[in-house]
Amino acid sequence: MRRREIIDYSDRRWVPWWMRTKQKQLNRSKAGNGLLFLLMFVCGIFMALPLVMIINNTLKPLDELFQYPPKIFVKNPTLENFTDLFVLMNDTWVPFSRYIINTIIITVGGMVGHVIIASLASYPLAKHKFPGRNILFSMVVLSMMFTWQVTQIPQYLIISWLNINNTYLALILPSWAFGMGLYLMKQFMEQLPDSLMESAKIDGAGEFRVFWTIVMPNVKPAWLTLAIFQFQQMWGNTGGTFLRDEELKPLQYALQQIVQGGAARAGAGAAVTFIIAAVPITFFLICQSNIMETMTTSGMKE
Amino acid sequence: MKKKKLTLTKKKIINGYMFILPWFVGFIIFYIRSIVLTAQFSLSELSVGAIGGYELKFVGLENFIYAFREHGTFKQVLTTSVGNIILDIPLIIFFSLFMSMLLNKEFKGRTVVRAIFFLPVILNSSAISGALELSQQMMAGGISAGSGQMIAEGSSTGVDVNYYINLFKDFAMPEAVLDYIVAAVGRINKIITASGVQIVIFIAALQSIPGSMYEVAKIEGATAYETFWRVTFPMVMPHIITNVVYTVIDNFAESEVVTLAYDMAFTSFDYGLSSVFSLVSTVIICLILVLICGFIQKRTFYYN
Repeated sequence: MRRREIIDYSDRRWVPWWMRTKQKQLNRSKAGNGLLFLLMFVCGIFMALPLVMIINNTLKPLDELFQYPPKIFVKNPTLENFTDLFVLMNDTWVPFSRYIINTIIITVGGMVGHVIIASLASYPLAKHKFPGRNILFSMVVLSMMFTWQVTQIPQYLIISWLNINNTYLALILPSWAFGMGLYLMKQFMEQLPDSLMESAKIDGAGEFRVFWTIVMPNVKPAWLTLAIFQFQQMWGNTGGTFLRDEELKPLQYALQQIVQGGAARAGAGAAVTFIIAAVPITFFLICQSNIMETMTTSGMKE
Repeated sequence: MKKKKLTLTKKKIINGYMFILPWFVGFIIFYIRSIVLTAQFSLSELSVGAIGGYELKFVGLENFIYAFREHGTFKQVLTTSVGNIILDIPLIIFFSLFMSMLLNKEFKGRTVVRAIFFLPVILNSSAISGALELSQQMMAGGISAGSGQMIAEGSSTGVDVNYYINLFKDFAMPEAVLDYIVAAVGRINKIITASGVQIVIFIAALQSIPGSMYEVAKIEGATAYETFWRVTFPMVMPHIITNVVYTVIDNFAESEVVTLAYDMAFTSFDYGLSSVFSLVSTVIICLILVLICGFIQKRTFYYN
């Protein structure tokens, strides 16, 4: 029997390893691919530069931090800055771990609550028709226009009116009701085929069950994106005017204090900057690598 | 029979409201109330009481009249920041769509590259940028100033921009288009750093396109170009609106007019005028948003 002469697309020995794809690409030359990669590379360098600097700064000994002309890359890497930071930590008025716990409570509380509440609210908005739907939705968009800089005074009045001033809730509760998450989730849920939900209902699932077992797994890219977004928002929070007690202040506030300490604390400042930047990046990496698996596991065949 | 059906729909409606309720309560308390308060402030003169608390004196439209007739910079700042936002929308949307399509391909280290493109959002937080600034000062204007300034100072790279502008003028390119392109090139840095979230949203959108659609397109023999315009683009269309909304909000929050309103409230302590600024600019931005979204919405394809 003659061997079938089919071009073996899986043989891509001639493609450089960084461009190897699992599928055959349609009508795109390798040169074009290379060009695109180059573009991405150039853009990427500009974006990565501050991070490269942060990482190198944490490893630089003090004399290199002040070196002129400055060098990006560290010559004699040390972990001195971290030990500096630990020494500084022991001297602070409140134990440093307190700041970390505060940040974790605020970030996780704000993020999880926002994702769940926004998803819950966007499900009927996207998939059910009820009176007042459109008005509600335009109000959401309108509310997003009032940024925190502008509404700080009313916001403060409301927080003190609710008597949650100087508690974690002052930061967590407003973030739950923010419109962005609802908007994002609604746009994604609208794209789910109705038949998916109908079949579940015919099988006897209640609304909540449909929401939790059908809708949410299928919009996983959406809520993971929202989680990244919200995590970043909450993580960057310095507590502002809402938290007065030192025991309640988040990590960002501590960093600000250290940085304001000026040149004497430059090393410790560099170390804290690294920690503060590294956590959201790690979270982003975890979320993004999970986004990939959704479509393969979901049953969207009609 | 009919009655029973009615109760079922009613039950459904109540069910729907139950889903919205937790969010809606917070929304009313925190956002609607603050909008109402802002509107209230804009119509009155606010003075801080001696014991704490505040007093409102109703002054009608006085604040509005002052803002438009007498305040020196308000109108100018308003027009430039609104103009900038309109200019930035298409650039950011196209750039982020393009980038997300590149980042959606499978290659080694894709997640890391994505993270790099999300970096500006992460490093944007006040504490980190403060720390970066400090180290910049320590290094006496070192490398961290680079990415921003290198592009801003186009002349220092030895490229004569004016030569190219005149060259394109000779090709009878409309001046308005040319101006837009020149302005766009000057903004590259800002656009790249401002499209982090948009890229992530687009990636999620691209991931929610059923793979079977691409299979069909492939089997039918569609080219990459056709696949993009017939499959990818219609499917991400709803998220273009999402991103337009996000872009406008994000840009607006950092625009000059909001800064002006903020300064007015916290350095000049004129809350009434500050509320007027934010109210007027918000209304204008909302109108623009409604126009743009209406325009896109008509052309949007919804899966169902």
